[in-house]
Amino acid sequence: MNYVRTLIRNLIRGPSTEVYPFGPAWTPVHFRGRVEFKLSSCTACRACEQVCAPGAIRFDKTPEGLRFMLWHNTCVFCGLCEYYCPTDAIHQTDDWHMAHATAHQYEMAIRELISYVSCTACGAKALASAPNPAGVVPPFTAEEIEIQRNLCPGCRKTALAERGVK
Amino acid sequence: MSNFTIPVGPLNVALEEPMYFKVDVHGETVANVDIHAGHVHRGIEYLVTKRNVFQNLVLTERICSLCSNSHPQAYAMAIEQIAGLTVPPRAEYMRVIADEIKRVASHLFNVGVLAHLVGFESLFMHVMEVREMMQDVKESMFGNRMDLGAHVIGGVRFNIDDENIAYLKAQLDRIAPAVAEITHLYRTNGSILGRTRGIGVLSHADAVDCSVVGPVARASGINYDVRVKAPYAAYDRLEVPVHTLSDGDVWSRAIVRLSEVTTAVDILRQCLDNLPAGPTSCTTERPSIPVGEAIGKCEAPRGELIYYVRMTDSPRPERVKWRVPSFMNWDALRIMMKDAKIADIAIIVNSIDPCISCTER
Repeated sequence: MNYVRTLIRNLIRGPSTEVYPFGPAWTPVHFRGRVEFKLSSCTACRACEQVCAPGAIRFDKTPEGLRFMLWHNTCVFCGLCEYYCPTDAIHQTDDWHMAHATAHQYEMAIRELISYVSCTACGAKALASAPNPAGVVPPFTAEEIEIQRNLCPGCRKTALAERGVK
Repeated sequence: MSNFTIPVGPLNVALEEPMYFKVDVHGETVANVDIHAGHVHRGIEYLVTKRNVFQNLVLTERICSLCSNSHPQAYAMAIEQIAGLTVPPRAEYMRVIADEIKRVASHLFNVGVLAHLVGFESLFMHVMEVREMMQDVKESMFGNRMDLGAHVIGGVRFNIDDENIAYLKAQLDRIAPAVAEITHLYRTNGSILGRTRGIGVLSHADAVDCSVVGPVARASGINYDVRVKAPYAAYDRLEVPVHTLSDGDVWSRAIVRLSEVTTAVDILRQCLDNLPAGPTSCTTERPSIPVGEAIGKCEAPRGELIYYVRMTDSPRPERVKWRVPSFMNWDALRIMMKDAKIADIAIIVNSIDPCISCTER
């Protein structure tokens, strides 16, 4: 029978399965796993909230500011939020170690606050979000981002106009 | 001999999907089959109208695991038609790459399960091990073993660098000889031939009457493949041979699938060799979708998949309707099972590669 040769070859090769959890398991570089959120880059444009299919991402207005929330137990790891984020504030890592006891279910979330500040130019209440880099030539420097962060939307426009951007 | 009515299913007929057959038997021979569906209805057609265009890319992907690339592809094609977006050439080739990778894995899975149902467990495991190479490709290139997440409105959202191309080529070089060996086994092995030749026959005339699609149609001698008849993505620039056989039995359907795996490997190589440079999406922002309606269709591993989308001035579609290949194919089961033996029911059901989750959504 011609299958015997295949069978013997497979026997000699040994098991194809990995020894996990007794050894490391192979994880590809581009694996779509646990989400990482970088608060300092978030522009609060809420694109991720709009494209999130299961509704795992939510923005809530609180007295202190705008709260970003992502529930890993609701997330389907599709990666649309990362694709549509204009500033790479949201990123999927290759971490897939997500099994947890039920007692820890409410810890499987990211909660970050984009706080309110007083605009350094006019004193109005404004969100300390990162400026949107779309179409800004030359791109913002790190210093400029910090200055913009503490301005209200109106004063940000004025600052951009003075910088000479169309 | 006496007559009985026996229930087959709704669990574990061939795959782990619920489908219920009420089979009237005369002795050991099937006299009549009654097919009952509706066990995995999840109301997805309604859910689609409650989510916006971009969320639906992910929702349609999760209708079914084995055709999880074809659903968003047909959906994206319909939306792009409404919005008048042109997919860049590189993205078109990459859509073909995603499509064919899924086809290899899906066909090998079905052919493997056939060996399992025949009772040839070691061959089943061998085929699944070969398929595992493609699963590794999916995980490395797209980040997930089943839901590739390859599409966005206007293009694709993965990219292929030189490292990925080298890896995919190396995997294809490993898979091609393994598939050739498996095909030879299915063509010559006595256990496989004895249980599949002349079983579940669907003649050419019956196949036309039932309007079957995909490998089921091609195994009955119908030369129909959406990739050739109505080329989408980059298929008009690639050489896509259509495999047909005339017997229409379980064995022919398995051989058509195995031939298509070989073809898919070849198409993947063509894509990698001719992959144009350029952007992978016509827009990186979320395009606005105007009012309109459109139809998109593509060749899923099981056959022709058609999407109809109607948009009004809301960000959510007013209606999305899809016709899946299994819907056309499972009606032919009545003809295939006529005068079959009870022991062959599972093999015949598996031979149409039924996707219950797609059909009932």
